[in-house]
Amino acid sequence: MATQTVRDNSQENRKAVIRQRLAHGGMITALSLLLLAFIWPFFLVLTNAFKSMSDITGEPLSIIGSHGFSLKNFTSAMKKMHFWRVFGNSAVITVSATVLTILVSAMAAYVIVRNPKWTASKLAFSAMVASMVIPFQVLMVPLVSVYGGYLGVLNSRITLILMHVGFSVSLAVFMFHGAIKTNVPVELEEAAEIDGAGKWRTFWTVVFPLLKPTAATVAIIDAMAFWNDYLLPSLVLTNKKLYTIPIATQVFYGTYSTDIGLVMAALLLAMLPILILYLALQRFIVAGVTAGAVKG
Amino acid sequence: MVKDWKRWTAAAAATVVALGALAACGANSGSDDGDGTKITIFNSKSEIQSQLEELAESYGESHGVDVEVYYSNDTVAAHMATKYAANQPYTISMVDAKDVYSLGAEHAIDLSGEKWVSDTDQAISVNGKVLGFPVSVEARGLIYNADAIKKVTGKDFDPSTIKTTDDFKQIISDLKAGGMENPVGVMKEDWSLAAHYLPQVYEEQSDPAAFIKSLHDGADLNADARWTSLMDTFDVLKDNNYAQGDKAISAEREVTEQKLAKGEIAFMFGGNWDWAVLNQYEPSKNMGMMPVPQNDNSMDVQDKLVGGGSKYFFIDNSKNTSEAQQKAAKAFLNWLSEEKDGQEWVVNTAHLVSPFKSNKLEVADPLGKSVKKFADANKLINNYNYLPDDHYSVLGANFQKYLAGQEDRAALAGQIVDYWKANDMKTIQ
Amino acid sequence: MKQNKLSYKVGQFLMFAGPAVVLFAAVVIVPFFYGLYLTFTSWDGVAKTKPFVGFQNYADAFADTAYWDALGRTVVYSVISVVLVNVVAFFLAYLVTSGLKGQNFFRAGFFIPNLIGGIVLGYVWKFVFNRAFVAIGTALTGQEGASLLGTTNGALFALILVSVWQYAGYMMLIYVAGFMGVDDSLKEAALIDGCTNGQAMRNVIIPLMRSSFVQCIFLSTTRCFMVYDLNLSLTKGEPFNTSVMAAMHVYNKAFVYKNYGVGQAEALILFIICAVIGMIQVYVGKKGEVEA
Repeated sequence: MATQTVRDNSQENRKAVIRQRLAHGGMITALSLLLLAFIWPFFLVLTNAFKSMSDITGEPLSIIGSHGFSLKNFTSAMKKMHFWRVFGNSAVITVSATVLTILVSAMAAYVIVRNPKWTASKLAFSAMVASMVIPFQVLMVPLVSVYGGYLGVLNSRITLILMHVGFSVSLAVFMFHGAIKTNVPVELEEAAEIDGAGKWRTFWTVVFPLLKPTAATVAIIDAMAFWNDYLLPSLVLTNKKLYTIPIATQVFYGTYSTDIGLVMAALLLAMLPILILYLALQRFIVAGVTAGAVKG
Repeated sequence: MVKDWKRWTAAAAATVVALGALAACGANSGSDDGDGTKITIFNSKSEIQSQLEELAESYGESHGVDVEVYYSNDTVAAHMATKYAANQPYTISMVDAKDVYSLGAEHAIDLSGEKWVSDTDQAISVNGKVLGFPVSVEARGLIYNADAIKKVTGKDFDPSTIKTTDDFKQIISDLKAGGMENPVGVMKEDWSLAAHYLPQVYEEQSDPAAFIKSLHDGADLNADARWTSLMDTFDVLKDNNYAQGDKAISAEREVTEQKLAKGEIAFMFGGNWDWAVLNQYEPSKNMGMMPVPQNDNSMDVQDKLVGGGSKYFFIDNSKNTSEAQQKAAKAFLNWLSEEKDGQEWVVNTAHLVSPFKSNKLEVADPLGKSVKKFADANKLINNYNYLPDDHYSVLGANFQKYLAGQEDRAALAGQIVDYWKANDMKTIQ
Repeated sequence: MKQNKLSYKVGQFLMFAGPAVVLFAAVVIVPFFYGLYLTFTSWDGVAKTKPFVGFQNYADAFADTAYWDALGRTVVYSVISVVLVNVVAFFLAYLVTSGLKGQNFFRAGFFIPNLIGGIVLGYVWKFVFNRAFVAIGTALTGQEGASLLGTTNGALFALILVSVWQYAGYMMLIYVAGFMGVDDSLKEAALIDGCTNGQAMRNVIIPLMRSSFVQCIFLSTTRCFMVYDLNLSLTKGEPFNTSVMAAMHVYNKAFVYKNYGVGQAEALILFIICAVIGMIQVYVGKKGEVEA
């Protein structure tokens, strides 16, 4: 009985492999087309960033405008926004806020998941989930009233970093909460505790490593949010030396005159670092998964 | 257990240190460093941001003050709200006229004693105190491209020959006969329709406030000569718009202005601020502004543009602005209006039309030149600055429907009267 | 036992959750209650005095028909967007975790729309709708076409399209993490037991990805409900103010029309609606959770 099945399978298998290869190829083609549609707007940004204003309005689809290919938008955008300075600010703020968010949120999610009956856990978690639906505009004026009007702590990178963390912990805790619940078996922790590790060490040596894929996801989502955020930094940072990229570029699109060429050049300049970060973290997600697979 | 407690203390300590650092940093940034006075200027006119930044540097060096210029993409009122809530007002803020009325009494210092006050008709006073310094004069009317008209009709274009709606219809049909299919561009922006065109109906009344009150009491707008006259002209504009129906509503301002600059169309309703956009498309220099042609000439509307002071500076009066800063700010306003370098900057660098009589410099841009000409000849109908804040948005939406051909004039008139009937009339004066 | 002592519980909680909770409370909870207080005043946003007016702002909010219109519109937009976002995201996630060649490349590609913020994204798409699509339409039909943004339904469609385009890649990332979290051995076991791919998906994988679904649906719902940046830069409420979504109405009410108290009250009502929807989703998700 058993040997019979194996022989049939080898016949079947060859056909199946061919069919699979065809399906595979078809799928890749379909995905590629879809991807092209997805990134087409960015292609437009890319080509138009090198055109003059009148070409952008007159012939948006051409790859090189009739006034020719020009780097003028880039040089002028870089100069107007003080690119290197604002880039440095954005980088420092984004990196520190992202790292802090991941650390404090993973910790908080852990204690909440493992002690769901504690009042503090229930309260903290429901407040955080509920807070995700508060429109930021509601908090804007009260926030600056408290931290500017009463405490006078605005205009500092550290304040901005801590505020970024405060606003993003709810989403991050929410995501880590789900991940710990489904992907971290309690048995592993119990084993570590029998070996004499405290909760703190158990968390960092056993639990956190299993959270790497989620941590990478949170890192990407938050890093992007921080990198691109305009409203909060514009409220907190009033000193020009502390400006981040989005604040520095906003002057390019005003109500009465929008220099689309400059906007597009600035866009590309702002996008590049985050794209590189994403590609780097992408590998990390894959690595995290292989590490996670060991647990099974 | 002991270990856990250690960790716990460490984590708590880290939090405390972080919060302490947060507090410390803020405390430092509040105070001014050095002995040089530092003033901050909020600019809400994005097209002069780079010129202002350069000015801040050169003015700062020559006058020994540290000047910093800021701009925000946010609504002026929202931005001001956050600045005042945070106790970080700018020394000098550039706002719209209506903001001076709403903010000035509480937040602005009295400028009545300044030298420039007698040099302009455009300063804003609230309760007998001069609070708002006019930054520039701006006016609305019909922008024309004379080169484009000449090219099609073969004749030199003299705007003073177009007085009435019928004159205007004539030149439109000449242009069409010459091959220009759609000689007009209409901006669909709600502020253009309901903050610029529609208010002319109020502004060209002998008493705008009384007129609005009559609408509030339910007067028939369709019976008003001004309304009929202006809307007759608007119909000519609308019917000859290069974009019709739905297209009129998605027409982008940049495209319309490019068409005008290139001479594909010949007329557009707008103001001298449009030059900042037109100028990006290698426009012909032979452009200008003329009054909106109308058949009804009561109030001499055929000879006048509508406009006046636009954008106002006020100086903060709170504890956050020291006396030295107020003094430096006053000196800056004085420099801008009365001194030669300042006057030159306004006209030649920022390309604004100065609201100050002593500033006799020739304006370079053609639209500004027209405005200056009308202003000097006292041919400007005043802006009505007391419209409620939602006027342009609510009635702009209705006006857009009219532009798209989705409702008729009587319906629009009805909506305007309904708007005023429901209004609490708090702002009207 | 030590684990039942209150001091132990408090210590444990503070050790792990202390920093997160303190920061969260400082920037969200405190301003929230201050904002709540402001809804009972007739403050205009800049005046020095904040006169107390009781529930007047709430009465005004309930009487503001434009607000309820905007809310209704937001519901329609959100429901359609959430369904489409999640369907597209799930399929994308499935495809890019099924072992295709270059799947990492695809993952990166589909995520790209998220690399730039809502405001800028709106400008890019406005450009696409008003210039690129129109230019293509003109080339194809020979006559100049109208932009979708000029009609009421077109503007709504545009908002939905861009939202799906943007969030599909984002939610895909969460679904990818979900797929990764499912043990391959479980799926293999199911296949060996004679399940087809579809059955394995339905009976084994999807139930195990419940938390991903809850997260994605919750996130996409709340984001759609609170859409502002995209609304502002893509349609600005036009045409005829028929694409003004709830958050934009609230913002305009508070800052453009300078009715801060009423705007804040309307925002609070929006918050309560969102919170109720969110809580229901999380509750339903929790109830059916696979007991691990």
